[in-house]
Amino acid sequence: MNAFDLTEDQHDCLQELINVAMGQASDQLARYLDTFVYLKVPSIEQVRSELLFDSLNHDLKATSIVSQGFFGYEGIRGEALLMYQPLDSSRLADLLGYEADELSFDEQMIDLSSILTTTFLNVFASQIDNQMSYSAPRLLSTNLNTINQHIQQQSFNWDYALKVRISYQVTDYSFNCDMVLLIPEEAISNIKAVIDRILADF
Amino acid sequence: MLDNLFADLPNRLNTGILILDKNFNILMWNRFLEVHANKSDKQVIGKSIFTIFPELPRKWFERKLSSVIQLKNQTFCGWEQRHHLFELSHSRPITTDSDFMAQNCTFLPIEVEGEVERICILIEDVTDVCHYQTQLNKALNELALSNRIDGLTQAFNRKHWEECLASEFSRATRYKQELALVMLDLDQFKLLNDTYGHQGGDKVLIETTEVINELLRMGDLFGRYGGEEFAVILPNTELTGAYDVAERIRKTIENNAIEYQGKNINVTVSIGIAVMNEYDTRYEDIISRADIALYKAKNSGRNQVCVAKERSVS
Repeated sequence: MNAFDLTEDQHDCLQELINVAMGQASDQLARYLDTFVYLKVPSIEQVRSELLFDSLNHDLKATSIVSQGFFGYEGIRGEALLMYQPLDSSRLADLLGYEADELSFDEQMIDLSSILTTTFLNVFASQIDNQMSYSAPRLLSTNLNTINQHIQQQSFNWDYALKVRISYQVTDYSFNCDMVLLIPEEAISNIKAVIDRILADF
Repeated sequence: MLDNLFADLPNRLNTGILILDKNFNILMWNRFLEVHANKSDKQVIGKSIFTIFPELPRKWFERKLSSVIQLKNQTFCGWEQRHHLFELSHSRPITTDSDFMAQNCTFLPIEVEGEVERICILIEDVTDVCHYQTQLNKALNELALSNRIDGLTQAFNRKHWEECLASEFSRATRYKQELALVMLDLDQFKLLNDTYGHQGGDKVLIETTEVINELLRMGDLFGRYGGEEFAVILPNTELTGAYDVAERIRKTIENNAIEYQGKNINVTVSIGIAVMNEYDTRYEDIISRADIALYKAKNSGRNQVCVAKERSVS
Protein backbone atom coordinates (compact mmCIF):
# COMPACT_ATOMS: atom_id res chain seq x y z
CA MET A 1 0.00 0.00 0.00
CA ASN A 2 1.40 3.38 -0.94
CA ALA A 3 0.14 6.93 -1.32
CA PHE A 4 -1.03 6.25 -4.88
CA ASP A 5 -3.13 3.22 -4.01
CA LEU A 6 -6.87 3.68 -4.24
CA THR A 7 -8.92 2.72 -1.19
CA GLU A 8 -11.63 0.17 -1.76
CA ASP A 9 -14.28 2.91 -1.84
CA GLN A 10 -12.27 4.99 -4.28
CA HIS A 11 -11.70 1.95 -6.48
CA ASP A 12 -15.41 1.08 -6.50
CA CYS A 13 -16.37 4.65 -7.25
CA LEU A 14 -13.92 4.89 -10.17
CA GLN A 15 -15.12 1.53 -11.44
CA GLU A 16 -18.71 2.78 -11.35
CA LEU A 17 -17.83 6.04 -13.16
CA ILE A 18 -16.05 4.04 -15.84
CA ASN A 19 -18.92 1.55 -16.17
CA VAL A 20 -21.41 4.34 -16.77
CA ALA A 21 -19.07 6.04 -19.25
CA MET A 22 -18.55 2.73 -21.03
CA GLY A 23 -22.26 2.19 -21.36
CA GLN A 24 -22.86 5.59 -22.92
CA ALA A 25 -19.74 5.39 -25.08
CA SER A 26 -20.67 2.00 -26.50
CA ASP A 27 -24.15 3.32 -27.25
CA GLN A 28 -22.73 6.31 -29.14
CA LEU A 29 -20.20 4.15 -30.97
CA ALA A 30 -22.86 1.62 -31.93
CA ARG A 31 -24.95 4.36 -33.47
CA TYR A 32 -22.01 5.91 -35.27
CA LEU A 33 -20.52 2.64 -36.54
CA ASP A 34 -23.95 1.08 -37.04
CA THR A 35 -22.99 -2.13 -35.29
CA PHE A 36 -22.84 -3.43 -31.73
CA VAL A 37 -19.77 -2.52 -29.77
CA TYR A 38 -19.05 -4.54 -26.64
CA LEU A 39 -16.89 -3.09 -23.92
CA LYS A 40 -15.61 -5.59 -21.40
CA VAL A 41 -15.51 -4.87 -17.67
CA PRO A 42 -12.45 -2.75 -17.10
CA SER A 43 -9.47 -3.68 -15.02
CA ILE A 44 -8.04 -0.99 -12.78
CA GLU A 45 -4.59 -1.46 -11.33
CA GLN A 46 -1.43 0.32 -10.43
CA VAL A 47 1.63 -0.36 -12.53
CA ARG A 48 5.30 0.36 -11.83
CA SER A 49 7.22 2.04 -14.64
CA GLU A 50 9.70 -0.82 -15.06
CA LEU A 51 6.87 -3.31 -15.42
CA LEU A 52 4.85 -1.26 -17.91
CA PHE A 53 5.90 -3.20 -20.97
CA ASP A 54 5.46 -6.60 -19.34
CA SER A 55 2.03 -5.55 -18.19
CA LEU A 56 1.01 -4.25 -21.62
CA ASN A 57 2.45 -7.25 -23.38
CA HIS A 58 0.69 -9.58 -21.04
CA ASP A 59 -2.62 -7.94 -21.79
CA LEU A 60 -2.38 -8.20 -25.50
CA LYS A 61 0.15 -9.28 -28.06
CA ALA A 62 -0.23 -5.94 -29.73
CA THR A 63 1.58 -5.07 -32.91
CA SER A 64 0.43 -1.50 -33.20
CA ILE A 65 -0.01 1.16 -30.57
CA VAL A 66 -1.57 4.57 -31.02
CA SER A 67 -0.99 7.10 -28.25
CA GLN A 68 -3.15 10.12 -27.49
CA GLY A 69 -2.66 12.51 -24.58
CA PHE A 70 -5.67 13.86 -22.69
CA PHE A 71 -5.89 16.70 -20.22
CA GLY A 72 -8.72 18.28 -18.28
CA TYR A 73 -9.30 20.64 -15.39
CA GLU A 74 -8.18 19.87 -11.84
CA GLY A 75 -4.99 18.21 -13.06
CA ILE A 76 -6.74 15.20 -14.58
CA ARG A 77 -4.49 14.04 -17.37
CA GLY A 78 -2.75 11.04 -18.84
CA GLU A 79 -2.08 9.09 -21.97
CA ALA A 80 -4.42 6.72 -23.76
CA LEU A 81 -2.84 3.81 -25.62
CA LEU A 82 -4.93 1.99 -28.20
CA MET A 83 -3.48 -1.44 -28.82
CA TYR A 84 -4.20 -3.46 -31.93
CA GLN A 85 -3.47 -7.00 -32.89
CA PRO A 86 -2.53 -7.83 -36.45
CA LEU A 87 -5.75 -7.87 -38.38
CA ASP A 88 -7.13 -7.71 -41.81
CA SER A 89 -7.07 -4.05 -42.76
CA SER A 90 -10.09 -4.41 -45.00
CA ARG A 91 -12.19 -5.17 -41.92
CA LEU A 92 -11.18 -1.92 -40.32
CA ALA A 93 -12.05 0.00 -43.47
CA ASP A 94 -15.45 -1.75 -43.60
CA LEU A 95 -16.10 -0.83 -40.00
CA LEU A 96 -15.30 2.83 -40.54
CA GLY A 97 -17.17 2.90 -43.84
CA TYR A 98 -14.20 3.83 -45.99
CA GLU A 99 -13.51 2.57 -49.48
CA ALA A 100 -10.62 0.09 -49.48
CA ASP A 101 -8.18 2.40 -51.21
CA GLU A 102 -9.46 5.63 -49.72
CA LEU A 103 -6.90 5.86 -46.95
CA SER A 104 -4.00 3.96 -45.54
CA PHE A 105 -4.27 1.35 -42.85
CA ASP A 106 -2.28 3.53 -40.45
CA GLU A 107 -4.69 6.39 -40.97
CA GLN A 108 -7.70 4.16 -40.35
CA MET A 109 -6.17 2.91 -37.14
CA ILE A 110 -5.38 6.42 -35.95
CA ASP A 111 -8.88 7.57 -36.87
CA LEU A 112 -10.54 4.76 -34.98
CA SER A 113 -8.25 5.27 -31.97
CA SER A 114 -9.18 8.89 -31.75
CA ILE A 115 -12.88 8.07 -31.99
CA LEU A 116 -12.70 5.40 -29.27
CA THR A 117 -10.55 7.47 -26.91
CA THR A 118 -12.42 10.74 -27.18
CA THR A 119 -15.88 9.16 -27.09
CA PHE A 120 -15.11 7.33 -23.86
CA LEU A 121 -13.20 10.14 -22.17
CA ASN A 122 -15.74 12.82 -23.09
CA VAL A 123 -18.45 10.84 -21.36
CA PHE A 124 -16.17 10.07 -18.44
CA ALA A 125 -15.25 13.75 -18.11
CA SER A 126 -18.89 14.83 -18.05
CA GLN A 127 -19.46 12.35 -15.19
CA ILE A 128 -16.94 14.21 -13.07
CA ASP A 129 -18.00 17.69 -14.27
CA ASN A 130 -14.83 18.03 -16.25
CA GLN A 131 -13.93 18.64 -19.86
CA MET A 132 -11.11 17.00 -21.78
CA SER A 133 -8.76 18.29 -24.43
CA TYR A 134 -6.71 15.95 -26.56
CA SER A 135 -3.41 15.95 -28.33
CA ALA A 136 -3.20 14.62 -31.87
CA PRO A 137 -3.04 10.81 -31.84
CA ARG A 138 0.33 9.37 -32.76
CA LEU A 139 1.18 5.96 -34.12
CA LEU A 140 4.00 4.75 -31.89
CA SER A 141 4.81 1.72 -33.94
CA THR A 142 3.41 -1.01 -36.10
CA ASN A 143 5.97 -3.56 -35.01
CA LEU A 144 6.10 -5.37 -31.69
CA ASN A 145 9.89 -5.38 -31.47
CA THR A 146 10.14 -1.67 -32.00
CA ILE A 147 7.43 -1.04 -29.41
CA ASN A 148 9.40 -3.20 -27.03
CA GLN A 149 12.58 -1.25 -27.72
CA HIS A 150 10.73 2.04 -27.60
CA ILE A 151 9.35 1.40 -24.14
CA GLN A 152 12.46 -0.26 -22.76
CA GLN A 153 14.74 2.54 -23.92
CA GLN A 154 12.81 5.12 -21.95
CA SER A 155 13.92 6.07 -18.52
CA PHE A 156 10.56 7.13 -17.21
CA ASN A 157 10.30 10.09 -14.89
CA TRP A 158 7.48 8.40 -13.01
CA ASP A 159 7.45 5.35 -10.75
CA TYR A 160 3.77 4.52 -10.62
CA ALA A 161 0.86 4.95 -12.96
CA LEU A 162 -2.79 4.11 -12.64
CA LYS A 163 -3.74 1.78 -15.43
CA VAL A 164 -7.29 1.26 -16.68
CA ARG A 165 -7.75 -1.28 -19.43
CA ILE A 166 -10.94 -1.60 -21.44
CA SER A 167 -11.41 -4.13 -24.24
CA TYR A 168 -13.48 -3.23 -27.27
CA GLN A 169 -15.12 -5.93 -29.33
CA VAL A 170 -16.97 -5.44 -32.56
CA THR A 171 -18.18 -8.98 -33.15
CA ASP A 172 -19.91 -8.30 -36.46
CA TYR A 173 -16.54 -7.38 -37.93
CA SER A 174 -14.53 -9.74 -35.66
CA PHE A 175 -12.55 -6.74 -34.63
CA ASN A 176 -10.91 -6.29 -31.22
CA CYS A 177 -8.69 -3.76 -29.58
CA ASP A 178 -7.71 -2.62 -26.12
CA MET A 179 -7.73 0.84 -24.69
CA VAL A 180 -5.25 1.39 -21.90
CA LEU A 181 -5.50 4.65 -19.97
CA LEU A 182 -2.36 5.49 -18.05
CA ILE A 183 -2.53 8.23 -15.46
CA PRO A 184 0.88 9.39 -14.21
CA GLU A 185 1.52 9.50 -10.48
CA GLU A 186 1.14 13.22 -9.89
CA ALA A 187 -2.29 13.07 -11.56
CA ILE A 188 -3.39 10.14 -9.42
CA SER A 189 -3.76 12.29 -6.32
CA ASN A 190 -5.83 14.72 -8.42
CA ILE A 191 -8.18 12.00 -9.55
CA LYS A 192 -8.37 10.71 -5.97
CA ALA A 193 -9.42 14.18 -4.82
CA VAL A 194 -12.19 14.22 -7.44
CA ILE A 195 -13.37 10.75 -6.39
CA ASP A 196 -13.37 11.77 -2.71
CA ARG A 197 -15.55 14.76 -3.55
CA ILE A 198 -18.03 12.54 -5.36
CA LEU A 199 -18.03 10.05 -2.47
CA ALA A 200 -18.64 12.89 0.00
CA ASP A 201 -21.68 14.02 -2.02
CA PHE A 202 -23.39 10.67 -1.59
CA MET B 1 -9.88 47.25 -24.71
CA LEU B 2 -9.12 43.63 -23.83
CA ASP B 3 -12.15 42.55 -25.87
CA ASN B 4 -10.74 44.29 -28.93
CA LEU B 5 -7.45 42.54 -28.44
CA PHE B 6 -9.14 39.16 -28.23
CA ALA B 7 -11.24 39.87 -31.29
CA ASP B 8 -8.07 40.56 -33.24
CA LEU B 9 -6.16 37.58 -31.87
CA PRO B 10 -7.31 34.99 -34.46
CA ASN B 11 -5.80 37.19 -37.15
CA ARG B 12 -2.45 37.25 -35.42
CA LEU B 13 -2.10 33.51 -34.90
CA ASN B 14 0.21 31.46 -37.06
CA THR B 15 -2.49 28.80 -37.14
CA GLY B 16 -5.29 28.64 -39.68
CA ILE B 17 -8.85 28.86 -38.34
CA LEU B 18 -11.75 27.88 -40.54
CA ILE B 19 -15.37 27.69 -39.41
CA LEU B 20 -17.94 25.73 -41.40
CA ASP B 21 -21.66 25.19 -41.09
CA LYS B 22 -23.09 21.68 -41.30
CA ASN B 23 -23.43 21.98 -45.07
CA PHE B 24 -19.69 22.60 -45.47
CA ASN B 25 -20.06 26.28 -46.26
CA ILE B 26 -17.33 28.56 -45.00
CA LEU B 27 -18.61 30.96 -42.33
CA MET B 28 -15.32 32.45 -41.24
CA TRP B 29 -11.60 32.15 -41.68
CA ASN B 30 -8.65 34.03 -40.31
CA ARG B 31 -5.86 36.04 -41.87
CA PHE B 32 -3.42 33.10 -41.82
CA LEU B 33 -5.61 31.19 -44.27
CA GLU B 34 -6.45 34.25 -46.32
CA VAL B 35 -2.74 34.82 -46.85
CA HIS B 36 -1.66 31.24 -47.46
CA ALA B 37 -4.59 30.39 -49.74
CA ASN B 38 -4.12 33.75 -51.44
CA LYS B 39 -7.85 34.40 -51.71
CA SER B 40 -9.91 37.29 -50.36
CA ASP B 41 -12.75 37.10 -47.83
CA LYS B 42 -15.14 38.13 -50.56
CA GLN B 43 -14.28 35.14 -52.74
CA VAL B 44 -14.61 32.72 -49.89
CA ILE B 45 -17.18 33.53 -47.21
CA GLY B 46 -20.49 31.73 -47.77
CA LYS B 47 -19.02 29.41 -50.40
CA SER B 48 -18.75 25.64 -50.12
CA ILE B 49 -15.37 24.47 -48.87
CA PHE B 50 -15.22 22.09 -51.85
CA THR B 51 -15.47 25.02 -54.25
CA ILE B 52 -12.70 26.96 -52.55
CA PHE B 53 -10.47 23.94 -51.98
CA PRO B 54 -11.29 21.52 -54.82
CA GLU B 55 -8.24 19.44 -53.84
CA LEU B 56 -10.05 18.12 -50.73
CA PRO B 57 -10.86 14.40 -50.81
CA ARG B 58 -14.59 14.97 -50.58
CA LYS B 59 -15.81 11.62 -49.36
CA TRP B 60 -13.09 11.33 -46.76
CA PHE B 61 -13.77 14.87 -45.59
CA GLU B 62 -17.52 14.36 -45.25
CA ARG B 63 -16.95 11.15 -43.34
CA LYS B 64 -14.49 12.88 -41.01
CA LEU B 65 -16.89 15.71 -40.29
CA SER B 66 -19.82 13.36 -39.74
CA SER B 67 -17.94 11.80 -36.81
CA VAL B 68 -17.38 15.26 -35.35
CA ILE B 69 -21.06 16.14 -35.68
CA GLN B 70 -22.48 12.84 -34.50
CA LEU B 71 -20.07 11.99 -31.68
CA LYS B 72 -19.41 15.62 -30.70
CA ASN B 73 -15.76 14.67 -30.66
CA GLN B 74 -12.74 16.46 -31.91
CA THR B 75 -10.75 14.61 -34.52
CA PHE B 76 -7.36 14.97 -36.17
CA CYS B 77 -5.49 14.59 -39.39
CA GLY B 78 -1.69 14.53 -39.16
CA TRP B 79 1.00 15.15 -41.76
CA GLU B 80 2.52 11.71 -41.30
CA GLN B 81 -0.60 10.08 -42.72
CA ARG B 82 -1.67 12.90 -45.05
CA HIS B 83 0.98 15.47 -45.89
CA HIS B 84 -1.63 18.17 -46.39
CA LEU B 85 -5.36 18.59 -46.81
CA PHE B 86 -5.41 22.14 -48.15
CA GLU B 87 -3.06 23.30 -50.87
CA LEU B 88 -1.51 26.24 -49.05
CA SER B 89 1.77 28.06 -49.44
CA HIS B 90 4.20 27.76 -46.55
CA SER B 91 6.96 29.59 -44.75
CA ARG B 92 9.98 27.65 -46.09
CA PRO B 93 9.60 27.99 -49.88
CA ILE B 94 13.33 28.54 -50.41
CA THR B 95 14.98 26.13 -48.00
CA THR B 96 12.71 23.08 -48.33
CA ASP B 97 11.48 21.20 -51.39
CA SER B 98 7.89 21.05 -50.19
CA ASP B 99 5.29 22.28 -52.72
CA PHE B 100 2.58 22.77 -50.14
CA MET B 101 2.39 23.42 -46.42
CA ALA B 102 2.58 20.18 -44.40
CA GLN B 103 -0.35 20.31 -41.99
CA ASN B 104 -1.69 19.02 -38.73
CA CYS B 105 -5.42 19.62 -38.75
CA THR B 106 -7.81 19.49 -35.82
CA PHE B 107 -11.57 19.33 -36.31
CA LEU B 108 -13.52 20.74 -33.37
CA PRO B 109 -17.28 20.56 -32.82
CA ILE B 110 -18.97 23.84 -31.87
CA GLU B 111 -22.13 23.09 -29.95
CA VAL B 112 -25.15 25.35 -29.77
CA GLU B 113 -27.62 24.18 -27.12
CA GLY B 114 -26.26 20.64 -27.12
CA GLU B 115 -26.21 20.19 -30.89
CA VAL B 116 -23.17 20.54 -33.11
CA GLU B 117 -24.04 23.42 -35.39
CA ARG B 118 -20.62 24.39 -36.62
CA ILE B 119 -17.22 22.88 -37.12
CA CYS B 120 -13.98 24.64 -36.48
CA ILE B 121 -10.88 23.44 -38.33
CA LEU B 122 -7.47 24.42 -36.98
CA ILE B 123 -4.60 24.15 -39.45
CA GLU B 124 -1.00 24.19 -38.21
CA ASP B 125 2.00 24.64 -40.46
CA VAL B 126 4.34 21.71 -39.75
CA THR B 127 6.44 21.97 -42.93
CA ASP B 128 9.48 22.38 -40.68
CA VAL B 129 8.79 19.22 -38.66
CA CYS B 130 8.01 17.26 -41.81
CA HIS B 131 11.21 18.46 -43.49
CA TYR B 132 13.48 17.55 -40.57
CA GLN B 133 11.78 14.22 -39.92
CA THR B 134 12.22 13.29 -43.59
CA GLN B 135 15.91 14.28 -43.41
CA LEU B 136 16.32 12.24 -40.24
CA ASN B 137 14.73 9.16 -41.77
CA LYS B 138 16.97 9.51 -44.80
CA ALA B 139 20.06 9.80 -42.59
CA LEU B 140 19.00 6.77 -40.54
CA ASN B 141 18.56 4.70 -43.70
CA GLU B 142 21.97 5.73 -44.98
CA LEU B 143 23.49 4.96 -41.61
CA ALA B 144 21.91 1.51 -41.56
CA LEU B 145 23.28 0.89 -45.05
CA SER B 146 26.81 2.12 -44.29
CA ASN B 147 26.77 -0.10 -41.24
CA ARG B 148 26.50 -3.10 -43.55
CA ILE B 149 28.76 -2.05 -46.41
CA ASP B 150 32.53 -2.02 -46.81
CA GLY B 151 33.40 1.55 -47.75
CA LEU B 152 36.07 0.69 -50.35
CA THR B 153 34.50 -2.15 -52.30
CA GLN B 154 30.77 -1.67 -51.50
CA ALA B 155 30.55 -5.40 -50.75
CA PHE B 156 29.05 -6.38 -47.37
CA ASN B 157 31.46 -5.76 -44.52
CA ARG B 158 32.75 -8.60 -42.36
CA LYS B 159 30.32 -7.98 -39.50
CA HIS B 160 27.20 -7.94 -41.65
CA TRP B 161 28.43 -10.84 -43.80
CA GLU B 162 28.94 -12.99 -40.68
CA GLU B 163 25.44 -12.09 -39.46
CA CYS B 164 24.11 -13.22 -42.84
CA LEU B 165 26.04 -16.48 -42.57
CA ALA B 166 24.74 -17.08 -39.05
CA SER B 167 21.14 -16.68 -40.18
CA GLU B 168 21.63 -18.71 -43.39
CA PHE B 169 23.31 -21.41 -41.32
CA SER B 170 20.41 -21.70 -38.91
CA ARG B 171 17.89 -21.57 -41.75
CA ALA B 172 19.69 -24.35 -43.62
CA THR B 173 19.90 -26.43 -40.45
CA ARG B 174 16.24 -25.93 -39.63
CA TYR B 175 14.92 -26.74 -43.11
CA LYS B 176 17.63 -29.29 -43.94
CA GLN B 177 18.77 -27.29 -46.96
CA GLU B 178 22.14 -27.14 -48.67
CA LEU B 179 24.55 -24.33 -47.94
CA ALA B 180 27.92 -23.68 -49.56
CA LEU B 181 30.67 -21.28 -48.71
CA VAL B 182 33.32 -19.93 -51.07
CA MET B 183 36.32 -18.10 -49.59
CA LEU B 184 38.80 -16.43 -51.91
CA ASP B 185 42.03 -14.54 -51.53
CA LEU B 186 43.90 -12.47 -54.10
CA ASP B 187 47.27 -14.08 -54.87
CA GLN B 188 50.43 -12.23 -53.90
CA PHE B 189 48.53 -9.07 -53.08
CA LYS B 190 51.41 -7.70 -50.99
CA LEU B 191 53.70 -7.85 -54.01
CA LEU B 192 51.04 -6.09 -56.07
CA ASN B 193 50.79 -3.33 -53.46
CA ASP B 194 54.58 -2.96 -53.43
CA THR B 195 54.70 -2.73 -57.23
CA TYR B 196 51.74 -0.44 -57.94
CA GLY B 197 51.24 1.29 -54.58
CA HIS B 198 48.18 1.09 -52.36
CA GLN B 199 46.03 2.99 -54.83
CA GLY B 200 46.75 0.34 -57.42
CA GLY B 201 45.88 -2.30 -54.82
CA ASP B 202 42.62 -0.51 -54.01
CA LYS B 203 41.67 -0.40 -57.69
CA VAL B 204 42.25 -4.16 -57.92
CA LEU B 205 40.04 -4.76 -54.87
CA ILE B 206 37.25 -2.58 -56.30
CA GLU B 207 37.32 -4.14 -59.78
CA THR B 208 37.58 -7.67 -58.43
CA THR B 209 34.47 -7.02 -56.35
CA GLU B 210 32.62 -5.80 -59.42
CA VAL B 211 33.67 -8.85 -61.45
CA ILE B 212 32.54 -11.25 -58.74
CA ASN B 213 29.24 -9.42 -58.22
CA GLU B 214 28.35 -9.95 -61.86
CA LEU B 215 28.90 -13.69 -61.56
CA LEU B 216 26.60 -14.18 -58.57
CA ARG B 217 22.91 -14.97 -58.43
CA MET B 218 20.23 -13.16 -56.49
CA GLY B 219 20.35 -14.48 -52.95
CA ASP B 220 24.09 -15.13 -52.92
CA LEU B 221 25.72 -13.08 -50.18
CA PHE B 222 29.06 -11.54 -50.98
CA GLY B 223 31.30 -9.82 -48.45
CA ARG B 224 34.83 -8.58 -47.86
CA TYR B 225 36.15 -10.86 -45.15
CA GLY B 226 39.42 -9.02 -44.51
CA GLY B 227 42.22 -7.21 -46.42
CA GLU B 228 42.26 -9.06 -49.77
CA GLU B 229 40.05 -11.95 -48.68
CA PHE B 230 36.46 -12.23 -49.85
CA ALA B 231 33.69 -14.70 -49.10
CA VAL B 232 30.45 -15.76 -50.75
CA ILE B 233 27.53 -17.54 -49.09
CA LEU B 234 25.64 -19.70 -51.57
CA PRO B 235 22.27 -20.75 -50.12
CA ASN B 236 20.61 -23.88 -51.52
CA THR B 237 23.78 -24.88 -53.35
CA GLU B 238 25.54 -28.27 -53.26
CA LEU B 239 29.17 -29.01 -54.02
CA THR B 240 29.10 -29.17 -57.84
CA GLY B 241 27.15 -25.91 -58.01
CA ALA B 242 29.56 -24.20 -55.65
CA TYR B 243 32.54 -25.59 -57.56
CA ASP B 244 31.14 -24.19 -60.83
CA VAL B 245 30.71 -20.75 -59.29
CA ALA B 246 34.23 -20.86 -57.82
CA GLU B 247 35.83 -21.96 -61.10
CA ARG B 248 33.95 -19.28 -63.00
CA ILE B 249 35.15 -16.63 -60.54
CA ARG B 250 38.74 -17.92 -60.76
CA LYS B 251 38.80 -17.96 -64.58
CA THR B 252 37.08 -14.60 -65.00
CA ILE B 253 39.51 -12.90 -62.65
CA GLU B 254 42.47 -14.57 -64.32
CA ASN B 255 41.37 -13.27 -67.74
CA ASN B 256 40.40 -9.81 -66.55
CA ALA B 257 43.24 -7.33 -66.90
CA ILE B 258 42.84 -4.30 -64.67
CA GLU B 259 44.05 -1.07 -66.15
CA TYR B 260 45.96 1.17 -63.81
CA GLN B 261 47.96 4.24 -64.90
CA GLY B 262 48.34 2.94 -68.45
CA LYS B 263 49.50 -0.51 -67.34
CA ASN B 264 47.55 -3.78 -67.19
CA ILE B 265 47.53 -5.53 -63.83
CA ASN B 266 46.84 -9.26 -63.95
CA VAL B 267 45.63 -10.91 -60.77
CA THR B 268 44.65 -14.42 -59.82
CA VAL B 269 42.75 -15.83 -56.86
CA SER B 270 43.01 -18.92 -54.72
CA ILE B 271 39.68 -20.34 -53.60
CA GLY B 272 38.51 -22.69 -50.85
CA ILE B 273 35.02 -24.22 -50.87
CA ALA B 274 33.12 -25.91 -48.07
CA VAL B 275 29.64 -27.38 -48.14
CA MET B 276 27.71 -27.59 -44.89
CA ASN B 277 27.46 -31.08 -43.40
CA GLU B 278 26.30 -32.75 -40.20
CA TYR B 279 29.66 -32.15 -38.47
CA ASP B 280 29.24 -28.39 -38.67
CA THR B 281 27.58 -27.46 -35.42
CA ARG B 282 28.29 -23.74 -35.60
CA TYR B 283 28.62 -21.46 -38.61
CA GLU B 284 32.25 -20.85 -37.64
CA ASP B 285 32.99 -24.53 -38.39
CA ILE B 286 32.18 -24.10 -42.05
CA ILE B 287 34.30 -20.93 -42.25
CA SER B 288 37.27 -22.68 -40.74
CA ARG B 289 36.98 -25.63 -43.14
CA ALA B 290 36.75 -23.32 -46.17
CA ASP B 291 39.71 -21.38 -44.84
CA ILE B 292 41.84 -24.52 -44.58
CA ALA B 293 40.90 -25.42 -48.17
CA LEU B 294 41.86 -21.91 -49.23
CA TYR B 295 45.34 -22.30 -47.72
CA LYS B 296 45.70 -25.65 -49.42
CA ALA B 297 44.98 -23.90 -52.73
CA LYS B 298 47.63 -21.31 -51.89
CA ASN B 299 50.20 -23.94 -50.95
CA SER B 300 49.53 -26.01 -54.04
CA GLY B 301 50.62 -23.19 -56.32
CA ARG B 302 47.75 -20.60 -56.17
CA ASN B 303 45.17 -19.75 -58.89
CA GLN B 304 43.14 -22.86 -58.16
CA VAL B 305 40.05 -24.09 -56.32
CA CYS B 306 40.28 -26.57 -53.43
CA VAL B 307 37.43 -28.36 -51.72
CA ALA B 308 37.37 -28.67 -47.93
CA LYS B 309 37.46 -31.97 -46.10
CA GLU B 310 34.24 -33.10 -44.43
CA ARG B 311 35.75 -32.56 -40.99
CA SER B 312 38.48 -30.22 -40.02
CA VAL B 313 41.40 -31.95 -38.30
CA SER B 314 41.57 -30.63 -34.82
